Amino acid sequence: MTSYYRPGSASEAVAILAANPGAMVIAGGTDLVIDRRLGRADPRAPLVDVTGINELRGVRWDGDELHLGATATISAIESDPAVIVRTSALAEAARVLGSVQIRNMATLGGNLCTASPAAEMVPPLMVHDAVAAIRGPAGERRQAVADVVTGPRTTILASGEILTNVRLRAPALSGSCYLRQTVRWAMDLAGVGVAAWVLTDGTGREAAVQEARVALGAVAPTAVLVPGLESLLAGAPPTTERLGAVSAAASAACEPISDTRGTAEHRRHVAGVLAARALSIAHARAAGLWSGGLAPVNGRASAVTSSGERA
Amino acid sequence: MRSDYAVVGKRIPKLDAPDKVTGRTVYADDLKLSGLLTAAIKRSPHPHARILSVDVSAAEALPGVYAVIHAGNVTQRPFGFGHDNTPLKDRVVRCVGDEVAAVAAVDAATAQRALDLISVDYELLPAVDDPFEALQPGAPRIHDELDIEGNVSMEWNFQTGDLAEAERRSAVIVSGSYSSPQAAPAPIETHVVIAGFDADGALEVISPVHMVFMYRKELADCLGLDWRRITVRQPPVGGSFGGKIDIDAHDFIAVMLARAARRPVKLAMSREEEFTGTRTRQPIHFQLRTGAAADGTLLFRHAEVVSDNGAYNAWGSHALLVAMNTVTSMYRVGTSRLNAKVVYTNKNYGGSVRGFGNPQATFAVEQQMEELADALGMDPMDLRLKNANRPGDVTPQGLEITSCGLSECLETVRRKSSWDQRRGRMRRQHRGLGAAAYVHVGGGARIYGSDGCGAMTKIDDSGRVALISGSSELGQGSETALAMIVAETLGVPLEAVSVSHDDTDVKPWDVGVHASRTTFVAGNAARMAAAKARDELLKGAAEVLDRPARSLTIRDGVISVPGEPTATLRYEKAVRRRLLREGSSIIMTSAFYDPPTQRQDENYVGNISASYGFGAHVVEVEVDPDTGMVRVLGLWAAHDVGRAINPMSCEGQIEGGAVMGVGLALSEELPVEDGRFPAPNLHDYGMPTAMDAPPIDVTLIETADELGPFGAKGIGEGGIILPPAAIANAVADAVGVRPRSYPIRPWKLRRWIETGERSHVDKRPQLVRDVNAR
Ligand SMILES: Cc1cc2nc3c(=O)[nH]c(=O)nc-3n(C[C@H](O)[C@H](O)[C@H](O)COP(=O)(O)OP(=O)(O)OC[C@H]3O[C@@H](n4cnc5c(N)ncnc54)[C@H](O)[C@@H]3O)c2cc1C
Repeated sequence: MTSYYRPGSASEAVAILAANPGAMVIAGGTDLVIDRRLGRADPRAPLVDVTGINELRGVRWDGDELHLGATATISAIESDPAVIVRTSALAEAARVLGSVQIRNMATLGGNLCTASPAAEMVPPLMVHDAVAAIRGPAGERRQAVADVVTGPRTTILASGEILTNVRLRAPALSGSCYLRQTVRWAMDLAGVGVAAWVLTDGTGREAAVQEARVALGAVAPTAVLVPGLESLLAGAPPTTERLGAVSAAASAACEPISDTRGTAEHRRHVAGVLAARALSIAHARAAGLWSGGLAPVNGRASAVTSSGERA
Repeated sequence: MRSDYAVVGKRIPKLDAPDKVTGRTVYADDLKLSGLLTAAIKRSPHPHARILSVDVSAAEALPGVYAVIHAGNVTQRPFGFGHDNTPLKDRVVRCVGDEVAAVAAVDAATAQRALDLISVDYELLPAVDDPFEALQPGAPRIHDELDIEGNVSMEWNFQTGDLAEAERRSAVIVSGSYSSPQAAPAPIETHVVIAGFDADGALEVISPVHMVFMYRKELADCLGLDWRRITVRQPPVGGSFGGKIDIDAHDFIAVMLARAARRPVKLAMSREEEFTGTRTRQPIHFQLRTGAAADGTLLFRHAEVVSDNGAYNAWGSHALLVAMNTVTSMYRVGTSRLNAKVVYTNKNYGGSVRGFGNPQATFAVEQQMEELADALGMDPMDLRLKNANRPGDVTPQGLEITSCGLSECLETVRRKSSWDQRRGRMRRQHRGLGAAAYVHVGGGARIYGSDGCGAMTKIDDSGRVALISGSSELGQGSETALAMIVAETLGVPLEAVSVSHDDTDVKPWDVGVHASRTTFVAGNAARMAAAKARDELLKGAAEVLDRPARSLTIRDGVISVPGEPTATLRYEKAVRRRLLREGSSIIMTSAFYDPPTQRQDENYVGNISASYGFGAHVVEVEVDPDTGMVRVLGLWAAHDVGRAINPMSCEGQIEGGAVMGVGLALSEELPVEDGRFPAPNLHDYGMPTAMDAPPIDVTLIETADELGPFGAKGIGEGGIILPPAAIANAVADAVGVRPRSYPIRPWKLRRWIETGERSHVDKRPQLVRDVNAR
């Protein structure tokens, strides 16, 4: 039999964890329950359910700042109107994660702490320069999301620590986008996932890039930021030529493996393709040129209707 | 065609649907019996190894364990075609998942612990997972106990006409290689079997298997039981798609455990075991050539085939039976030749999965039709129509084509997809249209001595009509169709009819559910039994109404005399009038229908089915050439169903089949690494979701088959046959490269697009590549 705790506050959770070495935090359970069943996690370890903790909940805007509680569900992120417009990459990642049922249970904190190389929410958080708050026996510390995941299934969280929230800023004239390549069009893990974020100096087609970030998922042991983009992009709009250079930089930043969701060679190539597409959509959003809502999942403009006759 | 039916042709929701969607249906795994033990199987982790020793002493000593069995402590005989398999492996394991030992214990946790306590010593043997390598001299011998050469388990060779002469006459010959993957039927319900003996030694097995009478015989043969003392009960089946047709090693194991434990046992597969330990769709590799005259008349088809059988012969070894029909009999071909080798490999082995060899064969044959059309400068639809099978044709294998709506199916999807306006004109948007058509057995398939099915009807004093059918319901809707056939034939309301078909002690003999045969064969049996019941009813009514029986009609449960509005009688009354009197009798009738067909002779010639089903699809795709992702935008389907007994379930069968076919075409595959499936779960196995399913437009073409019940033909498999071929053709139209293997996964397609490769079979040295036109 397993002990199960449902604390009402973060400090209580931390105390329970301290008193029960080996205890595991559970949020939506969509990763952990499977891991326990398959023996990847100890099926008998005590569980500390953090979904009852008020301070860990919710999607909240405070001016430019987005506050995402660790137990904010993926569906809550997907459906927040301001998230869709201001931090579109988060909404675009959320809407392709699993299925509706999974998204109703799955949490942002679980996605980050599970530390899968293909975790959907991590590249968008990285390009938005998000900062994670981590609570432990010694109090709270803050850490850039880019540094939280240290390898496949490992994070910087020490045992006894919990993630409490993630915060990021969405300034004016910024825009983002998340695209992915999968084998099927839903309920699939990313073969490649790419997030891009752009800050421009104004609106319109000629708006120059001031800052840009691209992060890649599923192409390396952890999500990676593509280095050197400033010099490729800053000071000008993202022309076809510049986007070509972004593609090359993204491909070069990959250290992919081959598995059932893609060959290494393909992942490297597609990371480049999707980086250019995501960046150009992010630019369009930052520069006020985008009116299309969420982008197609692979970023390719397409009419999903056919002109054949139907009964 | 008659259309004044009261029930037939109406859209009737499946009778079992309300219970299923509200969770009330009781499946095998839901059953609780007192004293029921949980069984579990110790499987081989190695693709090929010698078993040196099996030590079960620690497992036997574990409290709560009732039986531990392995080849050393049971009596079992070989089973499978060619008797190449045993339930518990004795000397050698030949694939990952092979059954080595099994336990029965009080609960699942104890059973699992007992498995962990069994220690098996293996000596690893070289394994081979590629059939082409298995054919090489010096390849590991997978069945050295059998007298066979080069791991070839079976050969299927057919030839008619003068091939050299047909080649000489051909203006164009196209050739190419086409491959398919290992795929899984993956029903929602995994395999479950419950077995128990009574105090007298009679065996009862509860299992969602659907060839129950064969199953009983095989249990008896392998385990030395008296088959008169075996009862098989079939609870509702949570989907099969062919996967539950076969008796499998675990069925015998459950019975052996029940015998050893002296308690009933339940053996239920986990999802992982469902993939690794039950049967799959085997990969088949075709090297195909088709030749035609300059006007498009097909002159020959020639296939060299290698079927990747896996470790043992289950039903999959016979998929060539169907694949051969497609090669020789799809369109009027005349001269044809097929040489097939079924080759053992150290992998999970092939079973009978929906379509049974036809999706694989059609992928080759129908791509080649479009390649041929392109080489001839003809429209592929025109080429198909020119060569379409027609009523009255007899194909080289002796298939007698009677009702045949192939041309109408082709014309329908051509029109509805706006083929003539759009095919070949959407390359700039990377969109394309592709078509495919099939022939498939539609009136049973005589594989055994009999292809028959029995039916009984009885009408009780309430007016309830019970049909007791030899067939089984797998979710395909046959129960509803059979009830409709009985209601129509008898002239009673549908609500009055019940169908039971779940118990071998009660139901009459049937071959089983396979080959899209149930509505045709079981439907005819039901119709015949119901017609006899109708005669009895009217005989009784004739006495009451004092009119000759032949002057009476019955509709909606009312027996009447045409032209005499007052001379009527409810049918229930007629039943009661016979029953509730001295010298009473009840209405109880039976019939057995065996279609007028032939078993194929040693040259594979014979009219194995009483009718043939046809259909055509057009698929529209959009390709993202930079990522290789394919989106199916639309699918137009027209199927010759003879007569739609229940149009709603015909459409359901076609749509469900088509979505399965989209999965085969684009995403479903069990890749093998070191003899293992690295990802035996539903998250990694690419079954399509609703998001992958295109809008599907179904047209039912009704040709009123002469022998089918009310004209119906089989449609259970038709939907799945075409998408791999049609999608490959559509991709070729969209981007100009031809996928020669499926699933067409993004990285494969992108590489083909970039390299412009026209033949895409890796590691197949002896297969000829490239289209060569002369
Ligand atoms: C069918 C299916 C489809 C899926 N599809 C996708 C997909 O497309 N993309 C994708 O990225 N993921 C997918 N997932 C994985 C999973 O749903 C996500 O990773 C999800 O976000 C995990 O959240 P959770 O709340 O369920 O985590 P849980 O399972 O509860 O926890 C996951 C891990 O995080 C730890 N943890 C959780 N919360 C905290 C916290 N506050 N502090 C410290 N540690 C914590 C747990 O201890 C555990 O180790 C899928 C899962 C399933 C079952």
